[in-house]
Amino acid sequence: MSWWDDAVHRAVAEVVLAGALAGFVGVHIVVRRLSFFTMALTHATFPGVVIAALFGVDLLLGGMATGVLVVLGVAALTRRPGQNAAAATGVVLSAGFALGAGLVATQNSFSRDLSSYLVGSILTVTTRDLVITGGVLTAVVAILSLSARPLLYTGFDPAAATAAGVPAGAWTLLLLIIIEIAVVTLVPAVGTILAISLLVAPAAAARLWSTRLPVITLLAVLFAVASGLLGLYASTHLNIAAGASIALAATTILVLSAVLRPFFKERNS
Amino acid sequence: MIEPFTVPFMGRALAEIVLLAVICGPVGVLVLVRKLSFVSDALTHTVFPGVVVGFLAGGLDGIFLGALVAALLTAVVLTLLTRRGALSDDASTAVVLTAMFSVGVVLVSRRSSYTSDLTSFLFGRLLTVTMQQIAETAALAALILAVLAAGARAMLLRAFDPAAATAAGYRVFWLDLWLNVIVALVVVAAVRAVGTILVVALLIVPAAAARLVSHRPMVMALTGTGLILLAGWTGLLASWYASVEHGIALASASGVVLLLVAGYLMLLVLSLVRVRSLARIRSLARVRS
Repeated sequence: MSWWDDAVHRAVAEVVLAGALAGFVGVHIVVRRLSFFTMALTHATFPGVVIAALFGVDLLLGGMATGVLVVLGVAALTRRPGQNAAAATGVVLSAGFALGAGLVATQNSFSRDLSSYLVGSILTVTTRDLVITGGVLTAVVAILSLSARPLLYTGFDPAAATAAGVPAGAWTLLLLIIIEIAVVTLVPAVGTILAISLLVAPAAAARLWSTRLPVITLLAVLFAVASGLLGLYASTHLNIAAGASIALAATTILVLSAVLRPFFKERNS
Repeated sequence: MIEPFTVPFMGRALAEIVLLAVICGPVGVLVLVRKLSFVSDALTHTVFPGVVVGFLAGGLDGIFLGALVAALLTAVVLTLLTRRGALSDDASTAVVLTAMFSVGVVLVSRRSSYTSDLTSFLFGRLLTVTMQQIAETAALAALILAVLAAGARAMLLRAFDPAAATAAGYRVFWLDLWLNVIVALVVVAAVRAVGTILVVALLIVPAAAARLVSHRPMVMALTGTGLILLAGWTGLLASWYASVEHGIALASASGVVLLLVAGYLMLLVLSLVRVRSLARIRSLARVRS
């Protein structure tokens, strides 16, 4: 029996990998204010996952397919006059969620899966999940570090970037697809609520401590991994749902950062 | 088309939908112009711990009070966080949402089986709405409409021109809090009967669809209400016939939402066609003159 055969050990590995992935991607979500869009992605990949489960196709593939549809759908709807991004995202979110929930309801034995979809079941991750998360992490980090400069440029000043010949739209689309890939990787393993909080809370906390993107990214990864480990520890010792306790750990780090930050600012300046 | 609604539980479900249509039409317009889709979505999640605590403390009767307290708390917290501007409002909404929802999940997960609780929170129990719930919804609906009517003009001004609203002597913070509280009340009125899925959809989709038809707030509100009535009626009928005659368990809440989205898409296509033909007429007129 190797170290990997223990469910808790596999969960620890998954939490570290997922935390790192969430930290790297989350920084971009927070800086570009894409939290609601990410929320919509998690809800809208739901029908894809359900359909994939019904037809016995790979869950990641199903989620990915619907996710790309959502990215394109929101982009198309936002271009209509009077349809602000928030409303378009909301429409896509409701549609996806209702479709997924409706499909689940037609199956009698599905409600167990529904709740694991919401809060995750990190103690049942398989070695295959670990390999996928690790692979996606490597790929995403590689792409993000290669394209860091244009992403930063188009994020902070799209008009100037376009004027300088950097296609802002294409880079934004690439970022949205990266977020989508991260969501699809995180959700089946850790659940929607946890995915959102791991993506947003550590990055938002890191954003409070620095204005430099490399520093923020490093801090976000550290915070995300730390809240994953803390939450997992609390979950096994207090017998509460792992997804929820990790989300609460991430929130605690953010609240502590917000409270402590003013003291440090005074000393530095 | 009428006959299924003579069955008591179908009649009650329809009554609940009608009440929600009357309040969600106008409130949805403000949610659209103030870009509060995410706040509405957050509120539907944050009432969950309130529901759980209320149920643990006072049984079925405690749910309403628990949800009310949690929703009002969220409305205040979100308004305060947005005002301080320390975090972007988008990120802080996401964090409040996940944190409060997690508290709810932690509380229910201590019990042996919580999956059915989560499921009923998602779908609501539209077909088992009681007369008491309808009475509660009606009372809240009257309150919401009164509060809304009192502040609608100021809130629209604040949405389109915050500077002018401040200049006119309105306190923007209180207006924002006012609207967030209204949305919170709508969520409380609706969530137990129709579930989170339907509440979010009722607040966002009808107004977005109505915006395709008109840009006047009053017309948008009425169109939104009309759309909800239509989708509610057909959705309930569809789920009735699907389960009674074909044995398919079609969740009524999902049915109503999908019909609303279908209506939105139809109006979207219509508005596209209209814009195209208007442009063609204009270019023809230009050629002639």
